[in-house]
Amino acid sequence: MPEFSRFDQRVLGAGEREAALRAFETTPSHRGRPGSYWKIDLDALDFTGLDTDPGTGDVTISPVSGRGVIAVDLVTAARDHRDLFARAFGVALGAMPDKFAFLTRAFAQVGAFVYIPDGVSVDDPIAITYRTTSARFFPYTLVLAGAGARATVVERLTSDVPDTMIGSIAEIVTESGASVHFASVQDLRDDARVFATRVAAPGRDAHVSWATAELGAALCVTSNDVRFDHAGADAHIATLFFPTGSQHVDVVTNIQHNVGNSTSQTVAKTAAGDLGQGRFLGNIRIAAGAQHSNASLRDDALLLSKHAHIDSIPALEIAANDVRAFHGATVGAIDDEQLFYMTSRGITRDDAERMIALGFFEPAIEHFPTEALREQIRTVLAAKVA
Amino acid sequence: MSEPGLRIERLHVRVEQKQILNGIDLTVEPGRVHALMGPNGSGKSTLAFALTGHPNYEIVSGTATLDGEDLLALAPDKRARAGLFLSFQYPSAIPGVKVANFLHAARQAVRPDSLPPAKFRQLLIEKMDVLGMDPSFMGRYLNDGFSGGEKKRLEMLQLAMLAPKYAILDETDSGLDVDALRDVGTSVNALRASDEGRNTGFLIITHYPRILQYIRPDVVHVMIDGRIALTGDAELANRIEREGYDTIREEIIARA
Ligand SMILES: Nc1ncnc2c1ncn2[C@@H]1O[C@H](COP(=O)(O)OP(=O)(O)OP(=O)(O)O)[C@@H](O)[C@H]1O
Ligand SMILES: [Mg+2]
Repeated sequence: MPEFSRFDQRVLGAGEREAALRAFETTPSHRGRPGSYWKIDLDALDFTGLDTDPGTGDVTISPVSGRGVIAVDLVTAARDHRDLFARAFGVALGAMPDKFAFLTRAFAQVGAFVYIPDGVSVDDPIAITYRTTSARFFPYTLVLAGAGARATVVERLTSDVPDTMIGSIAEIVTESGASVHFASVQDLRDDARVFATRVAAPGRDAHVSWATAELGAALCVTSNDVRFDHAGADAHIATLFFPTGSQHVDVVTNIQHNVGNSTSQTVAKTAAGDLGQGRFLGNIRIAAGAQHSNASLRDDALLLSKHAHIDSIPALEIAANDVRAFHGATVGAIDDEQLFYMTSRGITRDDAERMIALGFFEPAIEHFPTEALREQIRTVLAAKVA
Repeated sequence: MSEPGLRIERLHVRVEQKQILNGIDLTVEPGRVHALMGPNGSGKSTLAFALTGHPNYEIVSGTATLDGEDLLALAPDKRARAGLFLSFQYPSAIPGVKVANFLHAARQAVRPDSLPPAKFRQLLIEKMDVLGMDPSFMGRYLNDGFSGGEKKRLEMLQLAMLAPKYAILDETDSGLDVDALRDVGTSVNALRASDEGRNTGFLIITHYPRILQYIRPDVVHVMIDGRIALTGDAELANRIEREGYDTIREEIIARA
């Protein structure tokens, strides 16, 4: 057991950290088993070394000013903004079904806290950048939007050093009528392992929008969750990934409609090339009392090589009778007729494939907040198309 | 260079193990307009796809050259860069690829000397105006959610922007309302009057003489069962409209 007494006790006490680590060790991943395509057993990963080196990394938070808006590192928030911190920390995570969220919770003492006071609107995106500088890194992003507040937060995850392991949590608490647009771009070195949990709990009539891009890492395991406990809320989840080389990416979205009159829209655009392996599990749960909920899930998978593979599994569990739920999915290679059409206009086959593949991602890309960010994502994706 | 023209000689083509074209001889000269008519399933689209290099169409024998260059040895993109263009009977939709970006990439590919972005945009707006297309189409995804007529207008916009040496129009007129048909005629004639398009040769596949009133053909061919059964002047199109293909079939049988 690591010496948790030496960790920051204001973020989380040693006893709770120990409990979280135990829970991590005993909780199954609830992810698919390895098979002929996907090679990695997520319940048998090697996490040795955690007790001697909790690791660290750089945190950069874009400065914000005035109107009571706070954007500071996690330890500062736990020390100087005790009440606000307590109003959000762990609130969206709740019982934390995700194995890897326990791991990050146990080691969390680096990260960012963003607070937008009631009624305040912040136009410019608040940028948070995490850069790993050691073998391990456990950044924690905590966002609290007060009643009627609005903000956009862009989180980036990068690494400079080889063979890193990253556990991360992004927790978004939007109080009644608040609106948060949260984008996360993971562009780690292709030898990194990353386990990310992102959770939102929208308040009454609140709006949450997620956009996540998993571009880097050798192994990327993420869970993007929205839990509706208050009526009138809506959430939009856009997620994209594109494993190439021998990358493995496993993304789960959990959308839980516990109360009625809540709306969710999930769009997953996934592609794989080379020996890349992807898994997407789209869970939607509508509880018995959650009448007039409206949930849609659209997932499309594009295979760009014979050896690439994506398992795309929707799971709709609907216990209420007066709801609207939609699911649509496709999986396949680039359409030959599309390729012929483009090449018949003089565009080379490689360029045509690149344009078609990038176009495929566009419905997810358009949910990222700034054109500069969208261009960065397109550039990385374009370079990944063989 | 040998004789200019889109020259097709003794072309035999197979699709899915089935022989469809049984020896086509046809030459489209620069600047001239040839119409190709014929009953459904006679092989007109097959000829268009075989010439542009669709992978499903297998050349059994014969030759096709573009101003002396062996077309059949080239990949589809190289055929386009050699100056060949096909207006598709059923154009593909490509979600996520914007019309303006696609047209820019295509123009850049076939005319690498291409225009600076501002000039390109200006040219695009001009040509869209001729075709009665709203400039908002530039930002739409390629053929995605387009009506049948809008797709055909977009094919004609591509023709105008690429100004190829030889253009095959595969039933561009089918499904167009009267105004759209007139706009297509205006756009093609504007191309033919321009410096870029003065020498463009056309092969216009159609079932109706109407489009040929806007774009006057120099020659009309009739394809039946994968062969050019009859070749004549513009009047032949009207005769087909009046009499149908049965009398032509009977004539051919009588001649044989
Ligand atoms: N991909 C294919 N697979 C199987 N058969 C095909 C294919 N493409 C064409 N054919 C067949 O080849 C024949 C000629 O078809 P083609 O499309 O060239 O006719 P067409 O003259 O263009 O007809 P229309 O006037 O109806 O457009 C038809 O019998 C058609 O069914
Ligand atoms: Mg046809």
